[in-house]
Amino acid sequence: MKNFVVGLFGDPESALAAAGSIQTADLGTPELMSPVPMEGVEEVLGEKKSVIKRFSLFGAIFGGISGFLLAAITAVLYAHPTGGRPIITFPPYLIITYELTILFGIVFTVIGFFVSARLPNGLWTAWWKQDENRPYVPEAAVNKFAVSVTCTSNESVQQAEAILRTAGAEEVRDVTEEN
Amino acid sequence: MSFLDRITEGWRKNRKPGYYEDFDYHWAMTIDLDQCSGCGACVTACQAENNLPIVGEDAFTKGREIKWLRIEHYWEGEYPDVKLNVIPMMCQHCDSAPCETVCPVSATYHNQDGLNTQIYNRCIGTRSCAVYCPYEVRYFNYNDHTWESPLDQQLNPDVSVREKGVMEKCTFCIQRIRQAKDNAKDDGRRRVRDGEVQPACVQTCPSKAMVFGDRNDPQSQVSQSLNDPRSYKVLDELNTNSSVVYLKKVEAEG
Amino acid sequence: MHGEPNQLKYTDIHNDVVRSIVETGPNYYIALVTAFALTLICFFFPWFYQLYYGIGAAGMNHPSVWGTYLASFIFWIGLSHSGTLLSCVLHITNSSWRKAMYRSAEAMTLFSLVVAAIMVMVHVGRPWFIHWAAPYPNQMEMWPNFRSPLLFDVMAITTYLTGSTIFIYMGSIPDFAAVRDRTRGWRNTMYSLMSLGWRGTDTEWHRLHWAYTFLAVLIIPLAVSVHSIVSWDFAMSIVPALHQTIFAPYFVVGAIYSGTAGIVTVMFVLRKFMDFGQYITELHFDNLGKLLLVLSLLWTYINVVEVFTGFYSGASGETEALNYRLFGFYAPLYWEMIAFCAIAPLLCAFKSFRTSFVPMLVLSIAINIGMYTERFLIVATSLSRQYLPDAWGLYVPSAVEISILLGTFALFTTLFLLFVKVFPSVSMYEVKETMESPKKSPPAASEGSPA
Repeated sequence: MKNFVVGLFGDPESALAAAGSIQTADLGTPELMSPVPMEGVEEVLGEKKSVIKRFSLFGAIFGGISGFLLAAITAVLYAHPTGGRPIITFPPYLIITYELTILFGIVFTVIGFFVSARLPNGLWTAWWKQDENRPYVPEAAVNKFAVSVTCTSNESVQQAEAILRTAGAEEVRDVTEEN
Repeated sequence: MSFLDRITEGWRKNRKPGYYEDFDYHWAMTIDLDQCSGCGACVTACQAENNLPIVGEDAFTKGREIKWLRIEHYWEGEYPDVKLNVIPMMCQHCDSAPCETVCPVSATYHNQDGLNTQIYNRCIGTRSCAVYCPYEVRYFNYNDHTWESPLDQQLNPDVSVREKGVMEKCTFCIQRIRQAKDNAKDDGRRRVRDGEVQPACVQTCPSKAMVFGDRNDPQSQVSQSLNDPRSYKVLDELNTNSSVVYLKKVEAEG
Repeated sequence: MHGEPNQLKYTDIHNDVVRSIVETGPNYYIALVTAFALTLICFFFPWFYQLYYGIGAAGMNHPSVWGTYLASFIFWIGLSHSGTLLSCVLHITNSSWRKAMYRSAEAMTLFSLVVAAIMVMVHVGRPWFIHWAAPYPNQMEMWPNFRSPLLFDVMAITTYLTGSTIFIYMGSIPDFAAVRDRTRGWRNTMYSLMSLGWRGTDTEWHRLHWAYTFLAVLIIPLAVSVHSIVSWDFAMSIVPALHQTIFAPYFVVGAIYSGTAGIVTVMFVLRKFMDFGQYITELHFDNLGKLLLVLSLLWTYINVVEVFTGFYSGASGETEALNYRLFGFYAPLYWEMIAFCAIAPLLCAFKSFRTSFVPMLVLSIAINIGMYTERFLIVATSLSRQYLPDAWGLYVPSAVEISILLGTFALFTTLFLLFVKVFPSVSMYEVKETMESPKKSPPAASEGSPA
């Protein structure tokens, strides 16, 4: 059995405070859901690191190298002398390199974002509403701040509910997954 | 040959500017302006040889006539003391041609004979080559052209008829050069003899003002003509290294 | 409802934006049908005729082989420049006034680019072979010529189009998710797919922030390079008055200038017809007005430099081209451009001018007319006066060209009208960020009610 206890808060401060108490109570790291990016999450739940910058860097380097090679190799494979210029001319090929550096940088940044944010997930499709591992609170997209706690036993469910209510949750929901 | 070998070989062969000098031929032309009378026979010959369309009155007034070779007229002085200078202007087959570098699809490039070629099938009609050409000798097909009977009977079968949307220009009558090279090969000769091939304009010129030949051969008539002290190139300051050289008109002082 | 943004509540913006998407009045349909009909009549029909007849349907001739199609191409690329570029710069510099307007500005970028790409196809002689300019392996074993400035353009615009699409999409994911739960039927399916299952967790926000910042960092140099490269289509030639080193910065400044003016126009329209009065305020017009003033001064400066260096060179070709531009056949257009782009924007020095909406709209339209003229003059005056006087000419656009030019605006409007019904045209989550977040409330009354 796997339970998600979700507390809805009207303001970010109480939600953050609740998340902090959940963590100190050893109930695992809660998930915060909010309509806007919340400030101060990292102070409470610990620093976040993302792999996106590595993806961007890799994409840019990959794009740069492949851009130059694309221009240089295709020119040599079917040589068309033009304007008395050498077949592999550096100044124009550097522009191609530059553009492809950015193109692949962008594409890989997006891939990095999808990988690190674990998107798209089960909510992707309208006909498969609920992902088995991820609770979803529609109000959190509008004006509520939600704290979701993953519990594996009945005791921890009760403990989490108590903490959330003390912290000032307007509503506490219990989402149970049948497994 | 492996893929990598092809690349390294291709690069080694073509990394330096001026690679065309390594080839057998380097076609060039001289035009002696002292002998040119501006009669326009070359213009007509070019029109007949290369299937140039007769664009019609409407397109002509819009400035869309297609003349691979045109006679430029420059008037000097005030009436009645006027003087007319003429200069035949066609593709200069520049070795550093600005038009070649700009084509995004390589529809125009420098071939192994030092000719600036135009590949009609490949052209997508960006018209940038015409902008980049300082001599204004590239002509665009603004629409499809037709030849009324019996004019369609005189179309040259060796030259393709261009469709709308492609650029065209003087080729130095590349079909004749190709024929001469084939003949030389059939005869077991390695090279085309000097004077064996002439573009239509050179062949027609009544005053023999135009000379065509291989610049790589120092004995050829054109090479000797190139050494003439009167020789100059049009817009030489743009460093296009053109293959058409004009011999200046000599005039009496005063 | 009619207060400053920071007095609004989260639910207000939510309701307003969802309303702008799902509630469609008859005026919208009238506008959409009109724009679409105009696109067909003014843009596609003349274009089809031109495809059938050849480029001869336009007014181009022997020395002036480029015409309004290319001018339109540069114009639309230029108009695309402010949206994403401005949005990126303001994102990186943390300017909060960007947030209410950047979504529509980015959409402007995207659709201007689409129109520009279509203009390329209108421009070339054989658009059915335009794919040959793309590098792809084919049976001919032919590749494009990577040494060509036009191919730099192909690469740059492809990259820019990809980048702008991704940028506007990434910024919209949270808003798609917010709209998803408020819609039914096909809209719900569409937004579910487009939001990719966004839930708004702290991790997702963190990743989005970083990805978005990296994209912004990558797109700023890209946008600058795109218009530099467009300018090289001209500057890499040896045509007098085109072969100029100043062209790259000139085009970049001109692009941002006309793009900013375009944003003012779009903001006015959104404010007027979408009821976004409380989000797009005088503050935005004030800031955009200051930006316009700075850009107009820069633009004037570059123009002066261009004229001065041409004059100072003393080369016969340059002098002739310059004389022709200033006093020749097209001179009235030149002075119109100076009046609209260099003199009129000086009015932005006055705050009362910047904060009044209708005068700003008039100014923004005047600037873009002037900027179109600039692009037209660059093409028309330079090509009709090149080195050999025997090949001088004159170019006047034909009816087909003018119709297609007007049709591009209808096409852009059609695309934009479709956009406002698909995308939340004001970024909800970022406007929410600029508001004061809900405070810890007294136990009884909660802040706002769930919608």
